[in-house]
Amino acid sequence: MPSQATITDSSSGAAASVPTAVLDTLASRWRCSGLFISLLDPAGAVVYHDSHASPFFLEYVLAQFRAELGKSLALGADRIGRAPVDRSIPGVLLDIHPLIEKRRMQGILVLAAVDAAIDRTEDLQRAAGRLRLDAQWLLAAARRLPPADDNSFAHRSRLLLDMLHDQIRLAAVQREIDSVSGELSGSYEELTLIYQLTASMHITRTPADFFRQACTEYNEFTGVRSTGVALTVGSLPGAAPAMFGPMSLPAPELHRLGSLLVDAFNYDQSPIIINDLAASPSYAFLGRHARQLLAVPLFRPQKHLGALFALDKIASDFDSHDVKLLISIANASAIYLENSILYEDVRGLVMGLLHSLTSAVDAKDPYTCGHSRRVALLSRRIAREAGLDEAQCERIYMGGLLHDVGKIGVPEHVLSKPGKLTAEEFDLIRRHPAIGARILKDVKQIQDVIPGVLYHHERYDGGGYPAGLAGENIPLIGRVICLADCLDAMTSTRTYRKAMPLEAALVEIDRGRGRQFDPALADALLRIGDGRLKSLLAAHHALGGGGTLLDSAGDSAPAIGETR
Amino acid sequence: MTLISTDAAVASSARKILVVDDESHILHVVSLKLRNAGFTVVTGSDGQEGLDLAHSELPDLIITDFQMPQLSGLELCRRLRQEPATSHIRAIMLTARGYQLGPQDAEQSGIRRMLSKPFSPRHLLATVNEVLNEAA
Repeated sequence: MPSQATITDSSSGAAASVPTAVLDTLASRWRCSGLFISLLDPAGAVVYHDSHASPFFLEYVLAQFRAELGKSLALGADRIGRAPVDRSIPGVLLDIHPLIEKRRMQGILVLAAVDAAIDRTEDLQRAAGRLRLDAQWLLAAARRLPPADDNSFAHRSRLLLDMLHDQIRLAAVQREIDSVSGELSGSYEELTLIYQLTASMHITRTPADFFRQACTEYNEFTGVRSTGVALTVGSLPGAAPAMFGPMSLPAPELHRLGSLLVDAFNYDQSPIIINDLAASPSYAFLGRHARQLLAVPLFRPQKHLGALFALDKIASDFDSHDVKLLISIANASAIYLENSILYEDVRGLVMGLLHSLTSAVDAKDPYTCGHSRRVALLSRRIAREAGLDEAQCERIYMGGLLHDVGKIGVPEHVLSKPGKLTAEEFDLIRRHPAIGARILKDVKQIQDVIPGVLYHHERYDGGGYPAGLAGENIPLIGRVICLADCLDAMTSTRTYRKAMPLEAALVEIDRGRGRQFDPALADALLRIGDGRLKSLLAAHHALGGGGTLLDSAGDSAPAIGETR
Repeated sequence: MTLISTDAAVASSARKILVVDDESHILHVVSLKLRNAGFTVVTGSDGQEGLDLAHSELPDLIITDFQMPQLSGLELCRRLRQEPATSHIRAIMLTARGYQLGPQDAEQSGIRRMLSKPFSPRHLLATVNEVLNEAA
């Protein structure tokens, strides 16, 4: 950082700092015309001088400043317009400019030149003597410099001051450009940050992922140690406050901070900025862990969703930029959050209705209670094991849930008939995939799920129904649901036979590889293994999923093809 | 503006970077960021000036806008790539969002990275350090 002197722009009255480099440039340009530049501080001490100047200036004039004259000049500059002070150097013309900034004298610019009348100056001898300088040597040095009379000196110093003022203005403009560039740079950062956030607002992303990104970006951008989020009760059920960054609070403090902020924003939505937590009564409990807090609300019209907060900006106090940026992030986050909540709401409604519908179908036959939900769970698990992406797995889950919806069109006495079916009855049963597909055909959001309903009774070898498709011609979703359906049917007690143990059912699945089942999918199912399948279905029971007899050791072992 | 403190810590030992863009505010923002990080910065306000400066200054790295009157950033980099004196100079290109550079273009022009506008100056600085640290 170059040292800076300050100077007043006398033409405009505006004050500005002058870098020493500016004085150096001017001094070197004016040296040959015999002008010497020096800057004194308000007490009269020399803070800048042209160090390449003639010995006349360096040994004589500067030495005079350093003796009592500097103080006298300072006093003079201070008293301009008041009592006159002696501020002359024999044989030298001086031009003195006090530098005023914010009504206070910041320094004194002194211009000097050799007086044309120096030969006739008797005081020079005495002055030189006091400084222990040889008067003849001094005079010789002075004669090598261009002499000035009062008029030409005034003229030249006026020119120099004008140049200096230009330089000052230039320096000020440069500083302004730098400052605007700095602001612009900050705006670019903000813009890219907000752009990235909005670009990542996919509804399928979990709020936790979204907030992790938002908070981490904010940490990096502002240099805070941690940024976190706390949601109002009911905005996202069960969402605990969370924070992201190298620093974290113990859980009790984090929860206390979360509810404190959420409550505070109930009444007042203005940002909370605390730069000394230990001294703040409400937040003193954080004092041991953090020093500073910045918090803003997550707000949508009429809806208070929660709070974003940042703890401990390392370098300095939180400033208006930090607040502005956190508000921008909070606004974007609130929109995302509101959409997530609406999405979850609608999704919950749709899934709830689907579960109700399929439970109603399952209820037509007391032995198939919970079957649809189990097939949905098993299908999704198989799909995951087979490496399908999560979106596909969810569609397959829905297909599993709906696969038997067509049984609504099959008479109950046929569905729940114990013992062998007649050919006509079996025909009625075989219609349920097509009936299901027809029921769903007008729901445009589930067109991709319908093949799962229509083709879940196709066989890999082509011997299934309704279309008799084989191999890869059977849509993937149909092949997955077929496996899940058969496994659940075998392990459940039906009107026409008892349940088979899971281990035995898996042996049957293995036997059906490539005949009834897609071999790759069958392998995926076998890879999951009986242990994990049992816990999957046990979890389903815990959710109130209805009875399966997975663990009961039935001794009848029906052929796979017998599932209806 | 608050900027993270890694700026000045970068050991750039006065490496020289040429920044070429016809939008002066970009030049100001980029050179401020790079100067604060200790780089020597030279700026040019169009492709032709960029070409002349690349010859006279022989920078370690060029950051150039893509869309410029007369000589585009891509053409500028291609020409430098063709001349032995400047063929080693690496480049970072600033483009409008969504623009993609073909692998052939990258090969012929020495362009190592693309950043779409508006870019994060913080990210630009990180990219500059990354490119300079890469083996030639």
